Amino acid sequence: MENVPLHDAARGLWVVPIRHHSPACAAQLERLIAAVKPAGILVEGPCDFDPLIEQLCDPRTRAPVAIVSLRELAGGQATRRAASYFPFCEHSPELVALQAAAVRGVPARFIDLPSTSREMMFDEAGKPARSLLGDERSFDVGDYVAALARELGCRDGNEVWDTLFEARIADDRWQGFFTDVGRYCACIRAATEPARLEQDGTLAREAQMRAILAEVRGSVSGPIIAVVGGFHAAAVFEPTVSKAAGAKVGAGRPYLMRYGMRQLDALSGYGAGLPLPGFYDRLWRTRADGGKDLALTLITGFAEHLRSIGGIEAPSFPVIANAVEQAQRLAALRGRPFPARDDIVDAIRSSFIKDEIPVEQIPLLNELRSWLIGTAIGDVPPSAGSPPLVEAVRTQALSLGFTVADGERRNRELDIYRKPRHREASRFCHAMALIDAQFGQRTAGPDFRNDVSLDRLLEVWSICWSPLVEVRLIELSEAADTLAEALAFLVAQKLAALSEQGKGRSALAAIDLFSAACRAGVGSAASSILALVETQIIEDPQLVSVVAALTDLVLLRRGRDILGIAEVGPIDHLIGAAWRRVLLLLPGLAECGEEQIRESVSALADLRGLIELARSSEAPMEINLFDEALARLRGEPLTPMLAGAVTAFALIDGQGDAVVLGERLRGELASGYVDPGRRLAFLSGVIAIARELLWTVPEIIAALHDVVARADETAFYTLVPHLRLALMPLDPREVDRLAEEVATRVGGRPDQLATHIEISESELANNLRLDRQLADVMARDGVT
Amino acid sequence: MSEAQPIRPRAEQRYATELSMLAANDHFPRPGGWRLSPRAVRRFLLGDPKSGISRKFYGDDPLVDRAVVSLMSQQGLMLVGEPGTAKSLLSELLSAAICGTSALVVQGSAGTTEDHIRYGWNYALLLAEGPSERALVPSPVLNAMRSGRVVRFEEITRCPPEVQDALISILSEKALALPELGPDAVASAVPGFNVIATANLRDRGVHEMSSALKRRFNFETVHPIADPEFERELVLRQLAERLGPAGVTVSGERDVAEVLVRIFQDLRTGRTAEGASLNRPDAVMSTAEAVNVLHAAALEAVYLDDGKLSAAHVARQIQGVVLKDSPEDSKRLRAYVDHIVKERAGRSVVWKDFYQAARSLKFG
Repeated sequence: MENVPLHDAARGLWVVPIRHHSPACAAQLERLIAAVKPAGILVEGPCDFDPLIEQLCDPRTRAPVAIVSLRELAGGQATRRAASYFPFCEHSPELVALQAAAVRGVPARFIDLPSTSREMMFDEAGKPARSLLGDERSFDVGDYVAALARELGCRDGNEVWDTLFEARIADDRWQGFFTDVGRYCACIRAATEPARLEQDGTLAREAQMRAILAEVRGSVSGPIIAVVGGFHAAAVFEPTVSKAAGAKVGAGRPYLMRYGMRQLDALSGYGAGLPLPGFYDRLWRTRADGGKDLALTLITGFAEHLRSIGGIEAPSFPVIANAVEQAQRLAALRGRPFPARDDIVDAIRSSFIKDEIPVEQIPLLNELRSWLIGTAIGDVPPSAGSPPLVEAVRTQALSLGFTVADGERRNRELDIYRKPRHREASRFCHAMALIDAQFGQRTAGPDFRNDVSLDRLLEVWSICWSPLVEVRLIELSEAADTLAEALAFLVAQKLAALSEQGKGRSALAAIDLFSAACRAGVGSAASSILALVETQIIEDPQLVSVVAALTDLVLLRRGRDILGIAEVGPIDHLIGAAWRRVLLLLPGLAECGEEQIRESVSALADLRGLIELARSSEAPMEINLFDEALARLRGEPLTPMLAGAVTAFALIDGQGDAVVLGERLRGELASGYVDPGRRLAFLSGVIAIARELLWTVPEIIAALHDVVARADETAFYTLVPHLRLALMPLDPREVDRLAEEVATRVGGRPDQLATHIEISESELANNLRLDRQLADVMARDGVT
Repeated sequence: MSEAQPIRPRAEQRYATELSMLAANDHFPRPGGWRLSPRAVRRFLLGDPKSGISRKFYGDDPLVDRAVVSLMSQQGLMLVGEPGTAKSLLSELLSAAICGTSALVVQGSAGTTEDHIRYGWNYALLLAEGPSERALVPSPVLNAMRSGRVVRFEEITRCPPEVQDALISILSEKALALPELGPDAVASAVPGFNVIATANLRDRGVHEMSSALKRRFNFETVHPIADPEFERELVLRQLAERLGPAGVTVSGERDVAEVLVRIFQDLRTGRTAEGASLNRPDAVMSTAEAVNVLHAAALEAVYLDDGKLSAAHVARQIQGVVLKDSPEDSKRLRAYVDHIVKERAGRSVVWKDFYQAARSLKFG
């Protein structure tokens, strides 16, 4: 393969082949610019981004940032716009080139097709393209790269790239470097199907680059450099020129936005580039010393990170030292001047992990990956415009008294009962939470949904307008221009997802969504959720989940004013439907299998809570219908535990007789089951539903007393563990109360019951030490 | 009378020519005590077709780099993995290339004592002369320390943990006190000494190993080969190596090997290529076992049949592998045959052969 020319002296033109986000390319480009002193700098990138160059080079801009292009879509699509991104990090050669142009005061331009052109909007498969950087998969796949990797002893295309190019970041022979990049990319291109180049728009893009290049050549005197993906370098050099295409008016608009390392990662984000950008960022920062201390910085940095997050055992000093040594030696073995990404990952893998590594990897390696991706988020100058949704939400936030000028985290107390503006602010926060904008977290306040802290007057939010908020809003700009539209879009999306899920407990998820929508102030837009809830409930075969859903509905009804539910009719309708379902399912409990008994008893216990809640909140439920259903259930043959639960329920419902309960309990306790535990099952059922019966119904204690008093020692010891188990649900205060009852019955005095256990200070200290040791052992063995 | 050849010559004997060729052309620096430079060791294991060096270890090249580099450091090398993943082969090749011998071996077992790790005595001499250098019987570890070579500790986790711990001071201080020979008698390791231990995850894992000992090792997990095509090539190559010396040839082995490797990969991972889940048998489904099955099937085809290997031969041999460990495995294999293989039998003649033969077998 012939060398791709770098320089055409006749035209005063340098075409510099690069790879996106490559720190070595960026460093060599700095050298080239210093040597060539260009009079104009051209960069591969959509030409309709030219107006944003000034913002990109603004001293207040801090990478990673991205230019997002929002293109209007024709009607009838799922969203009204499509977004695609052109990301920059500090070590993007494109950004280095543009900033150099600003510093030198020479003109700079983007030279690719407009972001709204067909070639840029769709990928090869005709789907909307997320990345405007072009497809860089050819650096990783294909016969040429695979053969080269084999030859060089590398595991993949990225290691090949690191070995051949990133290793030369400190080598000042920039001409040789770019010649090699050009040749490498040309080889990859030669192994690509020519038809693909036509199909994916490569040829059209290159024609555009040549056209703008010719235009600029005509207007600038002095050397010009064009920074383009290595794949295009040879084609850009060709002299044939056609007419440059311009952006269609009104087709879309680009914005400069903050971007994150996480989105920049080639493996997880939209952008092309190198995986684990945090690694390359550190390489870029240490480029001056040629990567000499890179392994040391990264390995000690990661060890420090492990110590700070806890949970994963942090390595000791000898392990860290061994890892650094390992990285240096791996680099030497693999013929690299300093440890590359794979050497450092390999060294950490060998040294930090003293155990088997399963194929699906282990937490430490996942943590390393995520640490090497990085968490940095960029910044853009305040003058950078934003899509309508971002502007609308920002204005709304400002009008409600939130600070959006900085990324500080603040607490805000909202008096939601008395101040309408505060209630509106609360709805705004809830709305932002529903669209997943990571704007705020509710740290305290009444929770009408879960019936918790209802006596609190203030809602407290921890608020932060971080770049992440804007990133999320820009994503949603595809679908909405206002917060209300974004909410409607999100709710519809979540609703569709819920409908696709199976049945089972999704009624609860649907109610959750409805209540979240109500808190966000768009309950009416979400009323279609209720129809879904109804379908779920009337098809649900499980009493336990129907009771849970009904409880939620009653809670929702009770908090309707503060949740902003204007129309209570649909909820009442649902409560009616769910209540009928409960009554229908209740007698069916008699047929439940052995393994479902506990679940059925717990459903009954929930049902008791529900009925009390319904009585106190005047929910539209006909309680007398329940009495009939319960009576029908009592008439069925029931297993002891269920019988205990149902008998207790009937008693508190005014249907049963305490004497009958006492007799049945006496019979159960004296029964001839092989497993003595079963003798206590009836009592467990009673306690699960209404433990207060233990002291309000004397027949129970009497029955227990008779059985215990009559038992000989062996029988007593057999019974005791099961008795303890049956009484376990009682809390300490209830145990005291029960003990007093028993003491009175046998003629003792309640105050004799308590025994004061003396423990010396040294014994306490010993015990604490033992406790700590035990905790250490358990932590070491991963038992929590 | 000519001397009988060993059944299985050691790696340094099998590859003597390659090793001397590598040594002759090795211009890179060598760590103290090493016969070859790290790069040459790498080439010995991973092959270099241009210089006629064959590839001996497959599947994970970066692992070989990490292993070579670990052996240069103060740390020992611990190879862990399922049985049949070529851990012992890797340890043998590494020690042969680094120090010229793979013969210094401690075989771990429940009966291994500290004497096997440190030293024992020739009791006749000990009684006659008292403790002396002559009466001392050095262990392979002590031999390796004195001569600056690599000692292999096979199946280290089969030894009781307190016996394993005898290695701690040897690895950290690189010295072994010999108090019977005098208060100052110490055997110090010379450069080149290191330990390669292997541990089998199926029997007793590394969890019982003391953390003090774990800290002295760098761990490398050797995984089964994940790429079916590559595994098939490997199985076929090894089959040819086994059949070659006996002058036996067989036909139809390529298609059959494909079916065999597919079955092994499915059962090993618990997931088929089509994405169906299945119960993994407890039996070891390693590449080495696949070679054993194919070899036995080929012998059956040659000696008891018409010389054409078919999937039916494999089906008959596979039960010997899968039914070794637990009776549950036969149910798992039966379910695999009834659901997965049956489905494939409709699409391919080779799978059909396997299905029919497997159906007629009695599992459990």
